[in-house]
Order: sequence, then structure tokens, then C-alpha cells
Amino acid sequence: MIVRTGLTGPFPRSEALVAATRDLDRGRVTPEVVEDLYGRTEAEVVALERRLGFTTITGGYLRSADLFRPFAETWEGFTVGPLTRWFETNTFYRQPILHAPPERVPGAIAARLPPALRADPARAGVLVPGPYTFAGLLENRSGEAEEALVHRLGRLLAEEVRELAGAGYATFQFTEPLLVDRPPERALAEAVVAAYAAIRASAGSATTLVWTYGADAVPAFPLLDRLPVGIVGVDLAETDWEAIPSSAERRGLGLGVVDPRTTLVEEAADVVRIVHALKERRRPSVVWLGPGGPLDLVPWEPATRKLHLLPAAQQMLSREGGGGP
Amino acid sequence: MSARLFPAQEIGSLMKPRWQILGQHGEPLDARAREEFRGANERYHFADDAPAAAAALLDGRSREAGAEGVRDLGALFALRLLEAAGLARVYDGEARRIEMYEYPIRQMRGFQFQGHVRSFDNKYYLKAAVTDEVRLERPYHVEEFDFVRRHARGEPKLPITGPYTLADWSYNEHYLARRPGWKGPSVRRAAQREFVVDLAQRAIRPTLAALIERGCRVIQIDEPAAGTHPDEADLVVEGFNAATDGLDAEFSMHICYSDYRDLLPELLEAKRCRQWAWEFANRDRDGRDGYEVLKALAEYGDSRSIGLGVVDVHRDEVEKPELVADRIRRAAKYLGDPARLWVNPDCGLRTRRIDIATRKLEAVVAGAALARAEFENPRA
Repeated sequence: MIVRTGLTGPFPRSEALVAATRDLDRGRVTPEVVEDLYGRTEAEVVALERRLGFTTITGGYLRSADLFRPFAETWEGFTVGPLTRWFETNTFYRQPILHAPPERVPGAIAARLPPALRADPARAGVLVPGPYTFAGLLENRSGEAEEALVHRLGRLLAEEVRELAGAGYATFQFTEPLLVDRPPERALAEAVVAAYAAIRASAGSATTLVWTYGADAVPAFPLLDRLPVGIVGVDLAETDWEAIPSSAERRGLGLGVVDPRTTLVEEAADVVRIVHALKERRRPSVVWLGPGGPLDLVPWEPATRKLHLLPAAQQMLSREGGGGP
Repeated sequence: MSARLFPAQEIGSLMKPRWQILGQHGEPLDARAREEFRGANERYHFADDAPAAAAALLDGRSREAGAEGVRDLGALFALRLLEAAGLARVYDGEARRIEMYEYPIRQMRGFQFQGHVRSFDNKYYLKAAVTDEVRLERPYHVEEFDFVRRHARGEPKLPITGPYTLADWSYNEHYLARRPGWKGPSVRRAAQREFVVDLAQRAIRPTLAALIERGCRVIQIDEPAAGTHPDEADLVVEGFNAATDGLDAEFSMHICYSDYRDLLPELLEAKRCRQWAWEFANRDRDGRDGYEVLKALAEYGDSRSIGLGVVDVHRDEVEKPELVADRIRRAAKYLGDPARLWVNPDCGLRTRRIDIATRKLEAVVAGAALARAEFENPRA
């Protein structure tokens, strides 16, 4: 069993960046000053990711406004809508409004990727919305049924993956909190499976992850186990790990072991105990350890402190013969 | 219950005027701030009760007026504005408060501020972790209430952040760390329950008791986080009941921007809550009836009064009195009893400019008068 680690969502902005971006909104600093700070802070996150031995480098997606914004601002058919609460958090996203069947603009998403990713595509962790969450959280004025929209978004995301994989990007994470918050049924569930089949077909040898969080994943496992992706991740602060069903198929399992809802640092020994139990039950080919959700729900300093859990758990597992990154 | 139908009340904060912000930072007023101060004082005569601070402020001697002196003026301004608008229950527009989380947390021990979390775009909020047992330094809002009580001409109604919201907006370290092993969903929930109840018993209840001892009779417990986790409605109730246990005052619970149906029927177990002060106007548009949710309360047989949000605090467009009256009419129909309705803005008006907030408050009162005339003289 191989153990991998990495961020599974945006990293918080540093206190200096918080102050600078606030000052930018108040007209007290220039965009150039803030951009320079973004660059330096992103370099700090990259250095941290390297120091902690993460499998992927993300740079923390510090500039990212929300998960959908790069798509809502560049794909055709969208406008950016009102502030909307992001699940059960005190954070908000601007709801994309879809007026017509969406169309991607080649190269547009690649150009919006953080500079840290563009510098090293082979090790980059590309974070994108999953087709089900995307379809479910936008305001659909296009007239297209949700199943058809999931299909269409799956195809468009597959094209993005093909383009990016062609440029050397090797790891794609599809963020899908809605899969566990509101598990799809029947035709909609089939549309989700089909969307990921399209994505898988475009990904070539790249690693594909579906990362869920924010709700108990156990009811969604019958569907999660059907998704044709390399790794499916679940949030262990919301999911009772003892209730995760067994599986005969050796596939990758992502475990959200860093809880972004508390500043308390988790114990590596607890993580190792859970991995052992799930190893028996699911025989995963790969275990991916990461934050259970977006770590920017905690400030910079505690987020940094909490991440040290991941290499600690990885090393304990490796010493026991669990494999390296 | 008030004798007249549809009395109006405040619900939360007002935007601080420019002169208050400059003044309390010890900065001299610029021409605009001075003009705003003079215009407001001509209308409300709020400076009559603090003439020395007002004179110093207008004379460019903000430091001499002192931060507290300027805040006194801010509180008097808000009181007079609310009274002039015709509200029966008033407060000070939360003129002394910066926000509803950081101040109460700073009155307690057991918390450590961790840094800023992004809410959206470049907007952030400061968040603390509970790292030890919650202890109250001393009851808070007491001097603030004393000032209002001395100066208010209407009945004071004090807003205070509830225990569930304070817990939800904090990181739970201490109560989680006490439990060994992995912190899965059941452990997290149990730890959160302990945190909420401790906050309620050790910090909020003593504060409420001190306020009641000073004569505070009407208290609004703000629980805006209640709608964030509908499956924790029982914790909201447990916190409310623990905070008000054995206390005698007219308590209300303010919740906003939530699907109230998701919180029912659990919320109805809030024993000493005598009024639900909820937001409705924000959702009463685009062909949707924002007041229909009141049917659910009627179906459960709940007979408490309602603080009915009749103007939207997130839009500048000022509602016409006829629209306010229509909203009251619909709410009365769904509840089946007009006598249970108070009227108010959806939430605090601090997001709106003072002139717009004033006109919205006037619309609340004028709309209530229209509706009252209809109900009291049904054939007129």
C-alpha cells in the first residue's frame, strides 16, 4: 500500500496577505504590492509542501476566490451571481448563473492556474470542481435538465483534463462535497458515473481523485465505489470510519484526517490506527492522507501546525512497511 | 404583549456615523463629518444629553471628547433616531460594539484568538479557539445597558450574542482534547454540546442575570449561526435554555437567513423564549411568499409572538408602507392572530447608510399603522 499526502483544498492566506488584501480594497496599497506578496506567500506554501514531503504541490490556491470562479469567469454561458453560503460554514461563494449550455474556452483555465503549478506541472495538484457539485450549486437558467448538465460538465471538464494532461499535469482532484451532502440517486447517479468515465478516459496516466467532505460519506459509498477514478476521499471528521463499508476492489482511498473545523492538532497514532483498520477492510492500493476539507477554514498559523500530522502519520506507516510517497 | 397591534422594535445594529468613527479614534472631524453631526443633531437633538463631548468634537478636540464620550454621543444619536422613527422598543444601535463575536469572547477566559479566516473575496473575520474551560471575566453589556436605560424614552431591548453562535464561530479545542482517540462525528458533537452549555451557564447566564438585576426586562438572544447546522437545532435550544434558566425577563431569539422549517420542531423547546424575531422580507420577492413559513408555527400550535422582519436590510430600495402592510397582513393570516405580531427590520441595519436605514424604519412604522387601521377598523 502506497501512502501519499497533499492539500485537498485552498490553504489560508497569511496574516500579512490578509492585511494587504484588505488594504487593497480600501485603496491603501497598489495591486502590484499585493501581487508581489501573493508571489512570496505562495512560495512559502510551496516550500512548506516540499518540506512536508507532499506528493503534490498546490501553492495553496491563495488567489482563488472560490472553487467555481475560474470557470464562471472564463467559460461561456455563465455570469457570476450572488454570494451564497458554502455548505455549513461561514464562508461564501458567488453562485455561478448558467444562462445557456456552457462552453469551455481552450487555454483559459490553464492560464488561471496558480503560478506555482505552472512552474512544475508534473508535481502539481490541480483542483477543480466535480461535475455533480458544479451542476448542483450553480443557478441553472439554461433550461437543461440536471442529469444532462452533469453529463455536459463532465465532458467539458474531461476536455480541460485532456488539455492539461497534454501539458504535463499529472494529478487532478475533483472537489465534490455535494456527493455526500446530497447523494444523487437513479438517473442522476448514473450521470455522475458517466461524467467521471469521460474524465477518466481523458486523463491518460494522470492520477484522478474525487474528494468529498462536509457530511457523512457512508450513505454515498455505493456510488463512490462505482466512480471510475483513482482515489475517492472522505472527511473523517464527518464520517464514522468504522462504518465505512468493505470493498473487494483494490482502489485508492483518500482520508481527510486533518479537520479544518478545529485548530486542535490530530494525533498521528490515531490516524495510523484508522489506516490499519481500513487496510484490512478495503485493501486500498493507495491511501491519500490530507485535510478533510478546505484548510482555509482555519488561519495560517494553526493550518501550518496541523499539516505536520501528515508526514508524521506517513512516516509511521512507512516504517511499518506501508510504502513511501 | 403590547396593547396596540403591530408595535415596532429595533432588531440590531446601525451603521456608525462618520463623526463617531473619526471621533472615537481621536481624529478631528472633517467638514463632511461635522456637517453630518450638525444635521443629525438639528433633527434629533441627541447632543443635549452630552453637551461637553459634542462641543469638543465639533471644536476639533476629539481627544478631549474622549472615545467613551464620543461613543456616548453615538449611542444617544441611535436612540433618538429609533425613537423619532416611532419604535416602541429601542436600543443604542450597538454604537459601542464593533461586532457580535470578538467583544463577548474578550470578556471571557479560556479563549485564544488564532487569526483571520476568509469569509469571501477579501473579507475576513477573526476567530478564537477555546483552549481551556470557559470563564467569565465579568458580566458585559452592563454599563452599555445602564446608559441606555438612563437615556431611553422608549422601552430598552438589549441584544446579546447567544451561546450556540459563540461556540459555532469558535474553534473547539479544549472540549475535544478532553476526549481521547479519534475525533469523529459523535465525539465532535458531544464536545460541541459541552462547549455550548458551558458558554451558556458560565458566561451568558451570569451576564443576563446581571443585566436583569440592573432592570433589563427585554432581551434578544441572537443566534444567527442556528441555521448553519440545522441538525444541531437541539444544541441551540439547549444553550438557550441553559443561558436563561431561572431568569425572569422577556426573552426573544433572533435568527436570520435560515430555513426555519429545518429547525422545527426542535426550536420550539426553547422554554423561556417568548418571541421569534426572524428575517422574512429578504425572501419575500420574485413571486415567493416569504411569510408562508409562519404556517409551520401555526401547525405546531406555537403561540409565541413574532418579531416580524418586514424590510430587507441588504437592499437600498426602501419598501413602501403598502408593501409592509401587505406583509403584516399575510403574516397575520398565516399565524391566525394579528395580536402576536411585532414588526422590525429583518436584521441589523448596519449594512445600510443612515439615511436609508432611517427611511426603512419609518416604512416599518408607517406600514404597521396602515395595517393597524385595517385590523382595527375592518370596514373602513
